[in-house]
Amino acid sequence: MSFLNKLGIGVAAGAGSNREVPHTMSSSGRPRANGAAPVAAVGATRPPELRESTRVSNGLKEFLWNLDGLGRGTLLDLGPAWQTTLSFFIERGFRVSSEDILRAWKEFLVEEEGKLREATGRAAQHTLDVTPAARAARFLEANLQYPNSSFDAILLWDLLDYLEPLVAKQMVANLTELLRPGGVVFAMFHSKKPEGFQRYRVVDSATLQVISSPVLCPAQRVYQNREIQDLFSRYRTVKSFVGRDQLRESLFIK
Amino acid sequence: MWKKEDVKSPGLPENAPGPVASSPAIGGSPVREISTGAPVSSKASACISQGIRIKGEVTGSEDLFVDGHVEGKVNLSNGSLTVGPNGEVKADIFAREVIVRGRVDGKIVGREKIQLWSTGNVAGDLQTERLMIEDGAVLRGRVEIETGKPLDKHAEARVAAAATSKSGPVPVSPGSAAN
Repeated sequence: MSFLNKLGIGVAAGAGSNREVPHTMSSSGRPRANGAAPVAAVGATRPPELRESTRVSNGLKEFLWNLDGLGRGTLLDLGPAWQTTLSFFIERGFRVSSEDILRAWKEFLVEEEGKLREATGRAAQHTLDVTPAARAARFLEANLQYPNSSFDAILLWDLLDYLEPLVAKQMVANLTELLRPGGVVFAMFHSKKPEGFQRYRVVDSATLQVISSPVLCPAQRVYQNREIQDLFSRYRTVKSFVGRDQLRESLFIK
Repeated sequence: MWKKEDVKSPGLPENAPGPVASSPAIGGSPVREISTGAPVSSKASACISQGIRIKGEVTGSEDLFVDGHVEGKVNLSNGSLTVGPNGEVKADIFAREVIVRGRVDGKIVGREKIQLWSTGNVAGDLQTERLMIEDGAVLRGRVEIETGKPLDKHAEARVAAAATSKSGPVPVSPGSAAN
C-alpha cells in the first residue's frame, strides 16, 4: 500500500472524488464565456451547495488588535485565496501573500507517489527516500520560500492538524524564521479529530465564515495543549480561546 | 403550458459576464460591474489556440486570448489578455487587463484589473488596481493593489449587520452603549 493510501489519500481517489471543490457563489446559472468550454470540461465538477456558517472569533479579534497601528504590514495567508479575506486585509493596508499549503501538500503527495512508482521501476540506487524527515525536507524546499523576517502576521488556520507531524513541526520552525520579532501567528486546533473538512474566511474583524468542503487532506492528529506549547516554544506569548465547537483559536506572538 | 418559447437555449451567451465572487473586487467596484463586456472569449483580436506553443516575447496592443502554451514574456501595453481554461503561460505578463482561467506561472501586472476565475491557477505576484478572485481560484504569490482607495469603514458594519440579522438583533456599538 502506498503512503498516500496510508494517509487516506489514494491517488485514484484524489484525482476525482477527493478533489477539493470549493464553493462558488456563482454556481447558480453563471453564463459561460462565449465559445469556451464549460468548467466541467476542464476537470472541475460543479460543487454541490456546500454548507457555510459563521462563528465569532475572539482569536481573530485579538490578532487584529495586536496588528493595530502597524500601518503597512505584511501578511502571509496560508489558506485558500478568498476574495473576502484578501480584501479585508488589503483594505487595512496590508501587503498580502497567499499560499494554500494544504493544497500544495496534497499535490506534493500525489507527485511523490508518482516519483515512487517510477523509482521502484528503476535500479535500487535511485530509490526515493520516503522517510517522513526526507519528505518534510522536500516539501519545505518547494514551499514557503520567502526571505527571513518578511512578515508581520501569519494566518495559519487549522492546517497543522492535517499535516504529518514532522512536516508540521518543521513548518512552524520555518514560519518562525519568516516572522519579524513581535509578529503574530493565528492558528486553530481541533480539540477532537474533525469529522469533516473546513475552510475559513474572514467576514469581519470578529467573525469567520466556516465553509465545509470535501476532504482535501485527512486530519493527522489532535494536538494537546502541551504539544502546542512545544511546537511554538520560541514564541514569547500564547493566548488561546476555545469555542463551543471545540475549535481552539491560538495566538502566538514572537 | 410550459411556455417552451421562454426556455433559453443552453448554449453559451455571446457576451458572458465575468465570474461572481463572494465580495466586491479588491480595490474597486463589485465584480459584476468590472466584468461587463470582459473580453473572455476567443473573439479577441488575436488567439493562440490549444495545441499552439510559443516560446519568446509576445508584444502588442490588441486583446489576446491564449488557450495554448506561451513561455517567455507577454506585453500587451493597452490590451487585455485572457488565459483560457486550457492555457498555460510561463511568463511575466504586462497588460491593461488580465483574466486567468488557466494556469499562469509568472508575475502579472494588470494595470486596470486582474480576474482569477475558479479554474485559474497563478504562481506569481499580482500587481493591479482592482483584483477579483472567484472561489476556487488558486493563488500562490503576493498581491499588490495600487490604488490608494480609502477604506469603506461602513462596509464592514453592513456585512456584520447582515450576518447577525439572520440570528438576532444587530449589536449596539460600544459608543452607543456608553451613551
